[in-house]
Amino acid sequence: MSLDTLIECEGLTKHYGSAVALDTVSLTLPAGEPIALIGPNGAGKTTLLSLLCGFIRPSAGQVRVLGQQPGSQALSGRLSALPQDALLDPRLSVGGQLRFFARLQGMSAQQAKMDTHRVLQTVDLLDSINTKPVDLSHGMRKRIAIAQALLGEPKLVLLDEPTAGIDPPNAKMIRDLIRAQSTRTTFIVSSHNLDELERLCGSVVHLEKGRLISVGGVNDDAENHEFVTLRINTVEESTFMMAAKALAGVQNITRTAQGDYLIQTDDDMKTSLALMQMLSDYGWRYRQLSRGKTLEERLYGDAS
Amino acid sequence: MNRIRILAQDEILRLVSTRRGIIALAGFLLVWIAVLNYLILPAAAFFVGASDAGIAEVLLARLGLEAWQQWPAPELAVYWVVCLYLLPFFAFISSADQTASDRSRGTLRYLVLRCSRLEIFAGRFLGQCIILVLVVLVTLATVLVAVIFNTPDALPESITHAPVIIVNLWLLVMPYIALMALVSVLAKSARQATLYAVIIWISVSFLVGYLQARFGPLSFLDWVLPGSQVSQLMRLSDWQTLALAPIPIVHTIVLLFVGAFLMYRRDL
Repeated sequence: MSLDTLIECEGLTKHYGSAVALDTVSLTLPAGEPIALIGPNGAGKTTLLSLLCGFIRPSAGQVRVLGQQPGSQALSGRLSALPQDALLDPRLSVGGQLRFFARLQGMSAQQAKMDTHRVLQTVDLLDSINTKPVDLSHGMRKRIAIAQALLGEPKLVLLDEPTAGIDPPNAKMIRDLIRAQSTRTTFIVSSHNLDELERLCGSVVHLEKGRLISVGGVNDDAENHEFVTLRINTVEESTFMMAAKALAGVQNITRTAQGDYLIQTDDDMKTSLALMQMLSDYGWRYRQLSRGKTLEERLYGDAS
Repeated sequence: MNRIRILAQDEILRLVSTRRGIIALAGFLLVWIAVLNYLILPAAAFFVGASDAGIAEVLLARLGLEAWQQWPAPELAVYWVVCLYLLPFFAFISSADQTASDRSRGTLRYLVLRCSRLEIFAGRFLGQCIILVLVVLVTLATVLVAVIFNTPDALPESITHAPVIIVNLWLLVMPYIALMALVSVLAKSARQATLYAVIIWISVSFLVGYLQARFGPLSFLDWVLPGSQVSQLMRLSDWQTLALAPIPIVHTIVLLFVGAFLMYRRDL
């Protein structure tokens, strides 16, 4: 295992009774940019994260996190996580619980106090240090849970649906936080929000029905060079389609959502420039123009 | 070992810094005041009177409790017996939620990221043992205050007997705390843990009764349940009480071993 390898799974399998939650998954993930863990409900995302954290044991196969067995004491303070649906003790103050976690990671009482202040400051909740979790909103509790994951200097942080059920301002704050922290920590983020993951992560692990479908960069799909995605809400669909289909190299145009168009072309670079010229000529204001398909289109485009 | 100590400290902190813990302590204090006022002090006064009248020896001999007379103060003798029966119940109730609600809430996952399951299990058990020892110290102190008022001459000797009582009562409650640590691993709440403990207790009692009836008297079966040494302990005093120490120690080791195994194996 190289020094930069964070996770190694070999034939990793987990059964719950007769149900297979994870089916012979083998993958190696390096340190670096945030990694997206995607897949529909029941794909095995939470099971995989739980195995990596040592919350559950594999039915078969091997897994190593930072070169250690999950649950190993050598991972204390190096591996951190936001487990799905896990709650802090509602009876004790936020600050008291974070200090306790920090002490368990090996910090002195003074260090634990300082680090608790630091992580609460990071999630902008220092004012809530003496508050009990039960008195906080859902979004604030989620941020506190992320704060506990940032205690110490973890090398790897696993976040299971960090923005699920969160209002847009809190979700944005969490995304900004991950982006800011990802220079020194590798995040693995499980989410259903593909748009969010596409903007946040450098690579994607795709699971479905417990099986590993693919592992790769967010933008390294060869097929991506044949597509351009345009977001424009200021023009009627039929008017835009007629004008765009007349451009050289455009083979096909599909409306994927309200104001979103997926344009198939011979050359994405030339078509992008031609589109820009066309938009300028007609005076149509667009919101976004990007080469390639969106992550959602790449993964589930054929399903719709 | 340091993490076990921190976990044990947290267990004590949870008791004194939460509303539920404070209510439990206040409730226990009120019960204890009632026990002291209406049971220990009147019973001690009765035996002092009976002793003066020369009937205490006869009465205690008939009950097989001659060892009571070796306690330096009657308050201490009555306290000893009351605790032998009362403390296990308190241990049952106070230590029921060692890991149960933390597991169902998911809080245990935060801990497992930082320490091993066995450390959590051991730390919580140790914390509960310390809480019970503190309870013994506080209640014993109230009894020694009563000794100061009633039989001040007996105070120095009573104080020298205090370690006997503390060690014995600690040994007594350890298997109960270990049993609750075990069922707490299986349960989702303190109430469910208590229910499991009662079911296990009754089931084992029935099984022992059945085996005794089926295969005749088997002396080792008399010692299967925690607290089975209590009736013998009542007949002993001073450090001779430690003659029965192997029984609760073996109970504790077996229960902790099973509990730790389950803790190690269970999904969180």
